[in-house]
Amino acid sequence: MASWTRLLKIDWLLLSLVTALLSFGLIAVYSATHTGEGDFSSHFSKQMSAALLGLLLMLLTARVPFRFLSGLSWIAYALSILLLILVDLFGVRGFGAERWLALGPIKIQPSEFAKISTVMAVAQYLSQRGSDIKKWKSVAIAGAILFVPFALVIKQPDLGTALVFIAVSIPMLIWAGASWFFMFVLLSPAITMLISFKLVLFVLWISLILLLTIFSTRRTWLVVAMLLLHIGVGSVTPMAWNKLHPYQQKRITTFLNPEQDPRGSGYQIIQSQVAIGSGGFWGKGFMNGTQSQLKFLPAQHTDFIFSVVAEEWGLFGVTLALILFFGLILYLLDLATDVRSSFSSFALIGLTSILIFHVFINIAMTIGFAPVTGLPLPFFSYGRSFLISIMLMMGLVMNFSANQFEL
Amino acid sequence: MAYIERNQRSGRRALLAIITGLLFLFLIYGFIRLQILERDKYTERSLNNSVRKIEKLPVRGLILDRDGDILVDNRPAFVIAVVPREITPEAIEFAARVSAVSVAEIKAKMKAEFGFHPIVIARDVTYEQVVAIEENSLDYPGLLVRVESKRYYPEEIFSPHIFGTIGEVTEAEIKENSFYQSGDLIGKNGLEKVYDTELRGEQGIQFKRVNASGKILGDFDSPLNTSGKHGSDLFLALDYDLQAFAESLFVDRLGSLVAIDPRDGSVLAMVTKPDYDPRLLAGQIRPEIWQSLLNDKTHPLYNRSIQNGYPPGSTYKIVAAIAALQEKLITPAWSATCPGYFQLGRRTIHCWNLKGHGTLDLQGAIKNSCNVYFFKLGLKIGLDTWAKYSQLFGFGSRTGIDLPNESKGLVPTREYYNRRYGVNGWTSGHLANLAIGQGELLTTPLQIAQFVTILANRGFYYSPHLTDHFYEYDPPQIIDYQTERMEVPGIDADVYEVVLEGMRQVMAGGTGRQGKVEGIEMAGKTGTAQNPHGKSHAWFMAFAPFVNPEIAIAVILENSGGGGANAAPLARKVLEKHFFGHEIIKPVFIKSGLDSLIDQAEPEAFPFPEIQPIQIVPNIGDN
Repeated sequence: MASWTRLLKIDWLLLSLVTALLSFGLIAVYSATHTGEGDFSSHFSKQMSAALLGLLLMLLTARVPFRFLSGLSWIAYALSILLLILVDLFGVRGFGAERWLALGPIKIQPSEFAKISTVMAVAQYLSQRGSDIKKWKSVAIAGAILFVPFALVIKQPDLGTALVFIAVSIPMLIWAGASWFFMFVLLSPAITMLISFKLVLFVLWISLILLLTIFSTRRTWLVVAMLLLHIGVGSVTPMAWNKLHPYQQKRITTFLNPEQDPRGSGYQIIQSQVAIGSGGFWGKGFMNGTQSQLKFLPAQHTDFIFSVVAEEWGLFGVTLALILFFGLILYLLDLATDVRSSFSSFALIGLTSILIFHVFINIAMTIGFAPVTGLPLPFFSYGRSFLISIMLMMGLVMNFSANQFEL
Repeated sequence: MAYIERNQRSGRRALLAIITGLLFLFLIYGFIRLQILERDKYTERSLNNSVRKIEKLPVRGLILDRDGDILVDNRPAFVIAVVPREITPEAIEFAARVSAVSVAEIKAKMKAEFGFHPIVIARDVTYEQVVAIEENSLDYPGLLVRVESKRYYPEEIFSPHIFGTIGEVTEAEIKENSFYQSGDLIGKNGLEKVYDTELRGEQGIQFKRVNASGKILGDFDSPLNTSGKHGSDLFLALDYDLQAFAESLFVDRLGSLVAIDPRDGSVLAMVTKPDYDPRLLAGQIRPEIWQSLLNDKTHPLYNRSIQNGYPPGSTYKIVAAIAALQEKLITPAWSATCPGYFQLGRRTIHCWNLKGHGTLDLQGAIKNSCNVYFFKLGLKIGLDTWAKYSQLFGFGSRTGIDLPNESKGLVPTREYYNRRYGVNGWTSGHLANLAIGQGELLTTPLQIAQFVTILANRGFYYSPHLTDHFYEYDPPQIIDYQTERMEVPGIDADVYEVVLEGMRQVMAGGTGRQGKVEGIEMAGKTGTAQNPHGKSHAWFMAFAPFVNPEIAIAVILENSGGGGANAAPLARKVLEKHFFGHEIIKPVFIKSGLDSLIDQAEPEAFPFPEIQPIQIVPNIGDN
């Protein structure tokens, strides 16, 4: 038994978790897009075919020779940067379809592909001989690898997906052994930008930075550099803000606080909360969600699919789904600890981070804990390109699992 | 660091697992709060009192002229809409029959939305169609008649190119500006497009409690309710009495007229003919009308005043005169003899006055629009200097008027000629031709009007604009159009004085005297632009009064012959209307010898080299 399993390179535990999540997601898509005419909705059949294709892709990816895979990282990275640039060029000329690239009948979303290949490239770099996370140069290179796709995606503009690149970097740096102080230096400018509009807070924050820096390092130049950096960022941000047009400002404030925009996101969140809250502990039952069946919920088959789950399956279904997700994440972290190759280890951490970020932001959004960003929920949200990219990630994971003893 | 120690990894795994666990606990807490603690509240809302968003359409702002006369108004229009959640297949078929929209089209529109949001399938329907829907509303659920507004133009109002049209937003426009929602009516052209954000106002939102079958139970006391915002009214600087009078002079003619107040750059009149009745494109548009407008060979949809590049003819001699004086290539007294022709290499080029003008100084050459003088001057100036001064006066770039799709025109430069004819493929003949406003040079009527504005002000100007101010309703306030005073750099005051004196003489007994308003000192210049496809285009530009000018005007009449005999009298009538409120009726006079000479449609230009047949330059982007 064990021998042909090894030969097929199938990780049964991983496959079961993925299949369970996929099935749960398909049921939700069916319910959310069901038209009441008896037959399968076209959404469901499309999603179903994507799921099957995805499973096949996952099993095939697992069989790719490991050496070949790690060697592929840079090529895949370069290719996805190229695709992102193409999308940018076509986006200007084409009719607004900036996130999509049409290859004949197939439409692909390069940003999905870019997430994966960027993680692979960073993993490849961090596992190289000679890269040392304690050295600024290595950090700068890893940062640059992440920054290029980040900037291209934010230009699309797809802020939600762009943030994935930031989110991925933190666990990967921790995994590489970056110091706490270093993480602080890296993340604090973002807080400075947010805080710079309130002078009192800003002064307090700068003093805190100063204290922390002085306690953490004896090098005077570093203290001065930190201070200058933060005062610079803090004074430029409000100036840049005032340079923006009012409608641009509105877009950003709406992003940060959707309740301000009752036309769009605010309405979505109200409806989502009503759907979830009315589900109760056991839920209203499959295809019985009044909110979702009456289509009160906008984007209920894509971004707000989890509201449908929560309404129809209740807290019970929510807990089940969260346990499945958490189980998958723990298993991936275990794998990342166990694999011998440090490339695999880093890549696993990166892929896991993508998963965690998507799951957390999307679900938090449905209950009103996070802004409406348009980040879909893995295995659940309708959307073929996204589902396929998630299955490709799982295929890579399975590959690392099958080759966990290789160096 | 090729290999990470395993125990290090374990520690970090525990850290990441704990962080993830905390995140998940946070989520679980959110669900417990909603689904257990506040369940009753949400259950009640969902079972009995779901929330529905009711959108209240804003009133689109009006467009008025400087006297406050309404130019563009609103009238109610009926639309047929379907509610996807309620509609039955039979009702879709019925709707298709009544609204003359195919079933497939209705289904395609419904695809974008599930639920209760009504989707408009036909706009501006007739009363009979409304009655048909209302009579059968019990048999065919999910069909609605709603009232929207459409644009209404008072009887005497035309000028469709200025106002533009409104129409349903396209998917591309939504992607470009997420502010729009599918089904919105937005400005598609003209002022309606440029000022869509201001004119459209803001939709009011009211959240209502509805039961699960969609019946409204009452208000939902939400802080998210907004009352909407009335669209701002747009007050133009345009004097519509003048505009309408000017348009009436263009009956059966093709061309354009632009009148600008040089004191602030506001556009007093902007005529483009041919045009079309704006009422044809308000509300429901009949496809055959749209097609015929689109296919019309005279291009009535284009705003000739800003979108068409024409060779400016002799009006452009003024640019050459200023360049030569400012660069000190000549003095005002520099003179040349015109024997009626000019020898350039082996070619002989004729002046429009075949008998010759004799010996002329600069002002005399301007007054009589002598081609030979300006050929010689052009050769002295050289292409680079000529192009530099052209660009200084705004030619070859957009004026920045508040209308969309403005053309830049074309100022040929050395690079342009090298690209087009090869480095040695072009000759001084091209240059001579440019100096009299012929050849590849293209200017829009608005650019000529801006040019004469600059001359009127002796060097400064404000970028031309139609808008005077906006009236905002909430809070009530007037928002003035912001103009910036600009200066043409590096031209001395005495240069202007010399050239303007020449232009004054043009009006006092020169080629432009038929454009002279009795009793008002003015300056002007005629032009006759050669057109290889037919009769020449007649140009005229002028400003008045000569001291403290208050109006600058540019006129082009396509295929109408000489500028002095055709464009100038038309401009005079508009100026008389401006100054005296009416045209001054003149006794018919017997033509003198010189008049008949002007009437011969002075062949000011000549085909050397081949003039490119660029007549209609539709919708130039960046050329």
